[in-house]
Amino acid sequence: MAGFLARESTVAPAGYNRFLVPPAALAVHLSIGQAYAFSPFNLPMTRLLGITTSAPGDWNLPELGWIFSIAIVFLGLSAAVFGRWVEQVGPRMAMFTAALCFSGGFMVSAIGVQMHQLSLIYLGYGVLGGCGLGIGYISPVSTLIKWFPDRPGMATGMAIMGFGGGALIASPLEVTLMDYFKSATSTGVLQTFLTMGAVYLVFMLIGAYFVRVPAAGWLPAGYVAPTRSSSMITHANVEVDEALKTPQFYLLWGVLCLNVTAGIGVLGQASPMIQEMFPGRVTPLAAAGFVGLLSLFNMGGRFVWSSISDMIGRKNTYRIFFALGFVLYALVPTTGRMGSVSLFVAGFAIILSMYGGGFATIPAYLRDMFGTMQVGAIHGRLLTAWSTAGVLGPVLVNYIREYQINNGVPKAEAYSVTMYIMAGLLLIGFACNQAVKAVNSKHHFHGKVEQ
Amino acid sequence: MSAKFIFLWLLVGIPLVWGVVQTLYAVRQLFS
Repeated sequence: MAGFLARESTVAPAGYNRFLVPPAALAVHLSIGQAYAFSPFNLPMTRLLGITTSAPGDWNLPELGWIFSIAIVFLGLSAAVFGRWVEQVGPRMAMFTAALCFSGGFMVSAIGVQMHQLSLIYLGYGVLGGCGLGIGYISPVSTLIKWFPDRPGMATGMAIMGFGGGALIASPLEVTLMDYFKSATSTGVLQTFLTMGAVYLVFMLIGAYFVRVPAAGWLPAGYVAPTRSSSMITHANVEVDEALKTPQFYLLWGVLCLNVTAGIGVLGQASPMIQEMFPGRVTPLAAAGFVGLLSLFNMGGRFVWSSISDMIGRKNTYRIFFALGFVLYALVPTTGRMGSVSLFVAGFAIILSMYGGGFATIPAYLRDMFGTMQVGAIHGRLLTAWSTAGVLGPVLVNYIREYQINNGVPKAEAYSVTMYIMAGLLLIGFACNQAVKAVNSKHHFHGKVEQ
Repeated sequence: MSAKFIFLWLLVGIPLVWGVVQTLYAVRQLFS
């Protein structure tokens, strides 16, 4: 078993079709993307004892909100801690481990539901599942970059698009399953956890089975590595610990963190925000449609922007994200005052496409800066920026809105200050991106590079 | 195209298209 999972067993034979690797990576990312669709469980989980209404002893929403937060924190932590291990053992072992953790998280949580122990759900979905998220997220990154040296942005963007798409699948699937399993004595959460754990285990293991790494020295047919040296695309490699000693790592950390902070706060508050900014004009049902539209642009932006970055370069792509994002955030309060729902929706659709694009383009940016040797491990360390933004973004949006309303600002205008702060954050992100230069050659690795 | 290629792309494509269609159905409410 250990031999089958080892990196050596995954080396592709000559003539292997490299377009088999993206769907294998997608099988993992479409599964773990479920994390963004945990909210359909929240209300039924407040009625586990009472079934139809909350009974004494049932959990409340703030308590349940911690499940997602713990999972995202452990996503960042596990990606950072296990990044080097993922590089060492290869993608199949990493995907296999991610499948066991993510699926195991659902199983342990099902026991937590059965015993009505919230701590077991924190431990199951939050800690164990969160580790599955982190390891699964980074597992195919360096493999895809090695298979697609001609289009690294598009290749990683395709996989990371799956993380956005996973929520689109999981959300209706959860509602359908809970509806199917619910009865007079059950909300259906327990059975849905068990079913999803089993389905995701199989789906992710199929991805692990089919993933392959290219043989040492392999290059796509007809591909000639660019001979013209570009200062922003290195041919050298930097080790993960050495990368942490470079200013580029921290600048890119800031780039990711600020881009995500601006988007994640809006994503979490999209439904109430559009209803409050256009009172009486946007119904809760239409607001749900707005959230769906943002999810589609979040997913599509991952593929489109990362593919564009292969043509115009990573630095230029992030220049667009920050400059256009700044303009759009600064204009949001104006669209609210104008009463233009369509302009408001269009603005946020573009903002969310760039939010997704930021996630999807960062692995290729890291590859350009630090080479392919340990790009997965470096990406893992950088994902702590996501964990930070996951706390910072919602806090900025929620607390500033609350403060404004408490000080007598009408609800329709309570988001204006937040939008201007977001625009300011994007300006700082623009400055971080501008400061990114090629890594000093003293950090380059000079040993034998293993594939 | 090999059977493996078709199987893998259908495996990820079908759920993804299903999810997108479900979401578009919700999006329709925004414009109705």
